Amino acid sequence: MIRNAVLELVEERALASVGRWERRSLGVVRAEDAAEFARAAGESAPYLVDTAHGDFTVHPMYVVSLLRGAPGADAAEFRPDGMYRDEVPGTDGLDVRLMAGGQDVRWVGEVRAGDLIESRRALTAVERKGVGEGFLLLTMEKVYGAARGALVEVTERFIVR
Amino acid sequence: MTHRRERQVVVGQAVLSVELTPDAITLLRFGAVTRNAHLIHYDTEFARSEGLAGPVVMAQLHGCLFHRAAAEFAGAGGQVREVGWRNRAPACVGDRLVVTGTVRSVDASSGAVTLDLVERCGAGGAVCCRGRAVVIPG
Repeated sequence: MIRNAVLELVEERALASVGRWERRSLGVVRAEDAAEFARAAGESAPYLVDTAHGDFTVHPMYVVSLLRGAPGADAAEFRPDGMYRDEVPGTDGLDVRLMAGGQDVRWVGEVRAGDLIESRRALTAVERKGVGEGFLLLTMEKVYGAARGALVEVTERFIVR
Repeated sequence: MTHRRERQVVVGQAVLSVELTPDAITLLRFGAVTRNAHLIHYDTEFARSEGLAGPVVMAQLHGCLFHRAAAEFAGAGGQVREVGWRNRAPACVGDRLVVTGTVRSVDASSGAVTLDLVERCGAGGAVCCRGRAVVIPG
């Protein structure tokens, strides 16, 4: 494999953070925001897009799709490419290309409007893949919960080139 | 006395397709509500500098399409327990995304049905994501 000093630095940093759990508040789920999310995702089912519907439900993908909760982030929290500096572990301040690799989402409870959501996350694997300089595949476990317990578990993969 | 007719699910059964053709406005709306400012989703010049054909669809939006396919298969009163996908190729603004699938397995004891799903994009129908879902039909 061809050496790439920047990727090696990301790999070193990422490996050092494996297993370290971080917490972040995503704030309180607002029905209006969840409905807006559903509309933006192309949904038209009234129970997802109409907050006045008797069976209104927070779109199950809403909370796990949030990169930040309200009120968002300060300018200093962004990379030059618009991604959050801490979104992909090990990449802060480095000129690397970031891509999503996929997710596995498991629902163990129902997110409801009014829930105060906290997410916990930890990097669990760092793998070098591909040929040439290759790329790094980072695997992260996330748990989204409210006061009554865990609601959604996610395994997420990031590609760093 | 009437009886609710039990729904029959069999291995190989087709999952009804769902589709979406996200334009630049779709991505802006979706990015705004999820607070995703990554330029690969909005800035053509930047996306091309990253080796992409143009602004690309967010991973979570792919996930929403897989979820919709699973939820529609589960039907009224059903549940989606799991959805997963792997990105295989980028989907760009204006690409028609179509998720199809089949029933992979049925667990007779739990009633859980596992679906194999695939998302194809663009005129050529290239596979952009492969996915799966576990549902409890209603």
